[in-house]
Amino acid sequence: MLSSFFFLAAAEDGADAGKAIALALGIGLGSLGAGIGIGNIFGSMIQAVARQPELRGELQGIQWIGFALTEACVFYGLIGGLLAFVLV
Amino acid sequence: MKRILALAVLAALVLPSVALAAGSDDSEFDPSEEWNLQTWGPELKIGPIDMSINKAVAYLMLGTIVSIVIGIAFMRIRPGRGPNRRQALGETIYEVAQVQVAEQGLPTKAIGRWFPYVATLMIFIWVVNILGFIPLPLSDERWHVAGISVPTLAIFAATSTLSVTLALALMTFVFTHVEGIRENGSWAYFKSWIPDVPKAMLPMIIPLEILGQFMRLISLSVRLYANMLAGHMLILTFIGLIFLVTPWVFPFSVLLATVFYLFEVVIVVSIQAYIFAALSAIYIGSAIEPEH
Repeated sequence: MLSSFFFLAAAEDGADAGKAIALALGIGLGSLGAGIGIGNIFGSMIQAVARQPELRGELQGIQWIGFALTEACVFYGLIGGLLAFVLV
Repeated sequence: MKRILALAVLAALVLPSVALAAGSDDSEFDPSEEWNLQTWGPELKIGPIDMSINKAVAYLMLGTIVSIVIGIAFMRIRPGRGPNRRQALGETIYEVAQVQVAEQGLPTKAIGRWFPYVATLMIFIWVVNILGFIPLPLSDERWHVAGISVPTLAIFAATSTLSVTLALALMTFVFTHVEGIRENGSWAYFKSWIPDVPKAMLPMIIPLEILGQFMRLISLSVRLYANMLAGHMLILTFIGLIFLVTPWVFPFSVLLATVFYLFEVVIVVSIQAYIFAALSAIYIGSAIEPEH
């Protein structure tokens, strides 16, 4: 089943293949960076709370804002990839 | 346990409906078809502006009604004797909006004026997001059963269209600058955009800072839009694998779709509503009291 799937993908038009690569690169590189960033944020949060547990409430708001700002990078990649896929 | 059961029932309701929505069409399955909005009823055009009703508009109207009802039910109707659960829930919502959103970004003198706006943003976006994950009979596709055609149950969030989130972000953008100019005077406000740098750097910094103000608009709207779009697209794609590859991927794709569905409902929906409101508060707050 899987091999036939790959075969179908290979038989597609060359331009479509290029678009698919663009989309995959957009999402893949975007999520690479965001993955590192999100790991950093939560790691730092754990360290901060371990050192000063009384600050947890205040830190949580900042943590989620940082999380969303970082996570958004994936979606810029996704939107860029989709634009490449649909428009070009 | 009860909560898990309720979620499982909800998921069980959602997944076949997505499958039905996809299966009712004879043509090849394409998840992005969901975002081709068809006009419902007559076309209403005011000049160049298209005012006709489609799926996204219907979801927005429903979201407006539900958020008004939430506001009235939890905040306005007086509780009976002693605190009850409804009051506790209302106070929790209020406290999140007050402590986590408004006080985080807004300076103390501006909270009274801008708290209603950011709280409304939070509740409205949360409601529209969560409506997007409840299967509702608001769909472009129709399902013929016993001679009558009913709209299929489908999941679609109005916030997964760029126009909606861009309109919300534009409101924050306009309010930010109006409030900044009103509080500081236009010269002082625009001067506060530019950081302290050597004079030689200014020609490079000024365009970047102006561009940065517009990037806020884009990042605010695209963040919410792409989050909801990607969530729905993932669920639809995993269910769609059944039609695209072979029916035998059914257990695998339903499992993954359920996992993503729960992730979206439990985490993403609330985080995005909170983030949108909190960033709006921070932007407005930083315009009222610039750092220098």
